[in-house]
Amino acid sequence: MNAPARIDFATRAPLWAALAFMAVFVFVPLLQLAGQTLWSPSGFTLEAWSQLAGDVTLLKQLGATLQLGLAATLLSLLLGGGHAWLTIGRDLPAAALLAPLGIAPLVLPPIFVAMGFAEVFPADGFWPCALLLGTAHAPFVAVLAVRGLRAVDGRAYEAALLLRGRGRAEGWLLRAIAPELLAGCLLAFLFTIADHGVPEFLTVKGKTWHTYAEGIFGRWTRRATGTTFAELQSPIVAALPFIAALGCLLWAALRLRAQAPDRGVVRPLPLRPLGAFRWPALLLPIAYLGAGVVLPLVVLGRWVLGSAQKREPMSLDYAQQSFAKAIDQGLPDLLHSVWLALAVAAMVVLLALPLARGAARRWPLLDLLAALPAALPAILLGIALIRAFHDGPVLRQFGERFDQSWAFAACAYAARFLPFAALTLSSLARRQSLAAEEAGRFVPRAPFVRALRLHLQPLLPAAWSAWVLTFVLALRELDLAVVLPAANATAVRRLANAVHFQHEDWSGVIALLLLSIALLVPLLPSLLAGRKLTSLS
Amino acid sequence: MLRSLLPFSLLLLTTGCGDAPAAAANAGTPSAPAAGIGPTIYVALDEQFSRPLLDRFAKELQLDLTQRHDTEASKTVGLVSALTEERGNPRASVFWCNEIAQVAKLAQMGILAPYDSPAAADVPAQWKDPEHRWTGFAARARILIVNTTLLPDPASWPRSYKDLVDPKWKGRCAVAKPVRGTTLTHFAALRHVLGEAAFDAFVDGMFANDVKFLGGNGATMRAVRDGQLPWAFTDTDDYHVAMKNGHQVACVFPDQEEGGLGTMLIPNAVGLVAGGPDQAGAKKLIDAILGRETEALLAAADSAQIPLRSGIPGPKDPAIKGLGAFRAMVWDFAKVGMDLNRCDAAFNKRWHE
Repeated sequence: MNAPARIDFATRAPLWAALAFMAVFVFVPLLQLAGQTLWSPSGFTLEAWSQLAGDVTLLKQLGATLQLGLAATLLSLLLGGGHAWLTIGRDLPAAALLAPLGIAPLVLPPIFVAMGFAEVFPADGFWPCALLLGTAHAPFVAVLAVRGLRAVDGRAYEAALLLRGRGRAEGWLLRAIAPELLAGCLLAFLFTIADHGVPEFLTVKGKTWHTYAEGIFGRWTRRATGTTFAELQSPIVAALPFIAALGCLLWAALRLRAQAPDRGVVRPLPLRPLGAFRWPALLLPIAYLGAGVVLPLVVLGRWVLGSAQKREPMSLDYAQQSFAKAIDQGLPDLLHSVWLALAVAAMVVLLALPLARGAARRWPLLDLLAALPAALPAILLGIALIRAFHDGPVLRQFGERFDQSWAFAACAYAARFLPFAALTLSSLARRQSLAAEEAGRFVPRAPFVRALRLHLQPLLPAAWSAWVLTFVLALRELDLAVVLPAANATAVRRLANAVHFQHEDWSGVIALLLLSIALLVPLLPSLLAGRKLTSLS
Repeated sequence: MLRSLLPFSLLLLTTGCGDAPAAAANAGTPSAPAAGIGPTIYVALDEQFSRPLLDRFAKELQLDLTQRHDTEASKTVGLVSALTEERGNPRASVFWCNEIAQVAKLAQMGILAPYDSPAAADVPAQWKDPEHRWTGFAARARILIVNTTLLPDPASWPRSYKDLVDPKWKGRCAVAKPVRGTTLTHFAALRHVLGEAAFDAFVDGMFANDVKFLGGNGATMRAVRDGQLPWAFTDTDDYHVAMKNGHQVACVFPDQEEGGLGTMLIPNAVGLVAGGPDQAGAKKLIDAILGRETEALLAAADSAQIPLRSGIPGPKDPAIKGLGAFRAMVWDFAKVGMDLNRCDAAFNKRWHE
């Protein structure tokens, strides 16, 4: 009687561990944050909730954030979607080379893109801000659109072409990839409205309007210095329905992506001629990659050579000095970032695997729960975590200084990025053969061995992708790095600060080193096993 | 292929997980030392100036020092909030702040403990708390940064804070929003010195004169440095780095006329946090920070801070005057500190933050 129970427990232990992690690092902190909006120092109150309607500043910030999100997403769709549309199955010159580069801007932290823009254009207005955020988040649309286009059966397109003509066939193709486009747009929208680092950077550069994430952080930093309970809590009050809506959006986006029809073995799309627009169409990929990759890299490179100072001309000698300063000033932060990102990526994959299996096989609702942290502004998640582990009656039992430790930073990052790995893996787990799994139950092996060989094996390619994605996202994360003391020593946070104080020279070196590391890891499979670059997209 | 990659990845991960804290500790990062062993310092002075000094002190004094620096986003206010929140269970041992009014406020709240550092014996009394809860050193001045390409003739340069409300400069000058940083302290002090009615009229005048209110002193400096505006208020350290990087800028110590308000000096201050970890180590650290050498190093560094003690060489840039070479604004740190929360709330409302 007891043996099946033991087996069941052993099989489910990883899932319980992952759920416990989510409870401790996501749900309890958020519930406590929500609960605190109702408890002032003098007891239960609805003051913060009632103040919300009259908080003109906050409502303005919310409005500005939504406008920014919509504008940036539109630009992401144009740039990322356009890039995919023009480079997959088209006769665009150098399409084979350009197509995999659609993901390239994802490797660059948005703050680097902002630094590049701010160096060249006045970036304090609404549209420059939308343009740079739209460019930075366009890879989400580009990658998913490419996947959609590769999943379309070329035979179906050809049939539409023969029966209904070019224009209608293209319309059919657009409708066929609509779920992927929509999913990409929603991801771009979420990342844009949750971003604090870039809008804050632009504020320091001269921007005079604020986003919602800036408002949350601004009030939180003044929590003990001249702000009332209601003022402090009202952004959080506003956040609660906002987060719920965003969580549902994200879940819908990823479900759309996962439910996009699996068309089995497909023939690639036929080469679709661009006609007279063949060469002019190159402008779009050039603009996208130019703004998202080339401009930031050129600006960073020029900083290294000494462009930010006017005493002497740019030179290699100056670059050597920059490098020496970077080793002295920024190397510890860079190492800290890399160790943190490696640990976070490992944690996330280990936690995401059982969550994904659980969501795919037993509890689809797990997908929605897992999506929640990605819907939060990272600033708010950081605040919730600090409050819970610093003041919370339950979680402070982890130790008085746990919230300032390196382990805490790693757990917080893992909580933040878990959704991306869990949802990616769960969509793949859903496509695994149930019959094979059921047959596997008759194999006389221990549950752990069976899980490892039968369940884990087919998920490994997606697990590697999730590991890489998490590693890159953790390397470029700025918002949590600003809020969490233990993550203050990461390279991106240090660079954002150093640039404010006109240390562009060595900051440029650290930024380029960071990018090299972020690029090297995704390229490892190609370098070690000779896979084509197209596998990246 | 994946099979061949897996061991490599696992090895990478294992080493990553296992060695990370040690690597961070070796690198001297703030989060690295094991909790509860040595003192913890909260530092509001810019990290690139303070961290090398503190790393050196920690090495010389053999302290297992944890450093927590402020961020450009939150400035000093973030650390002050943290200290206030943690007062029941302090995590910091020492607070090194570059805005003395904030330290005075914390002292009045009982967050700082008395410590009469022998290293501060020669610091003039006006820069020290009579109850020894904090000691001032190395100051920045609130100055006007001028673009010398746009305003080549020194006779045309602004000379006073009142130029912010002079129609001659309508829409052509800037100051940071006084919601954080030194501008908050500056405006809070102005409110005290001028009186509330005159200060409110001054603020109304600035709005009427279309003064550009930017996100920080760095932004105002950049706007002038890059030629978008002819002049703005900023701090000496911001001006100095722009000048050192070869930009066409000059520095004006405002309100130097006979009977004028004087230029505001904002010293650094350091204090011992009451009940913080490793009080003995914390006191040693405070002694090191208050050493004459620190003031000399901060004067020589990019931050170009003005020493408060006689006999210490000041910044090399002759435009940054030494103490006694200019009329300094007289303001009461303690009173301004007491009023800081009220000003913070009022300014945030006025500037819609």
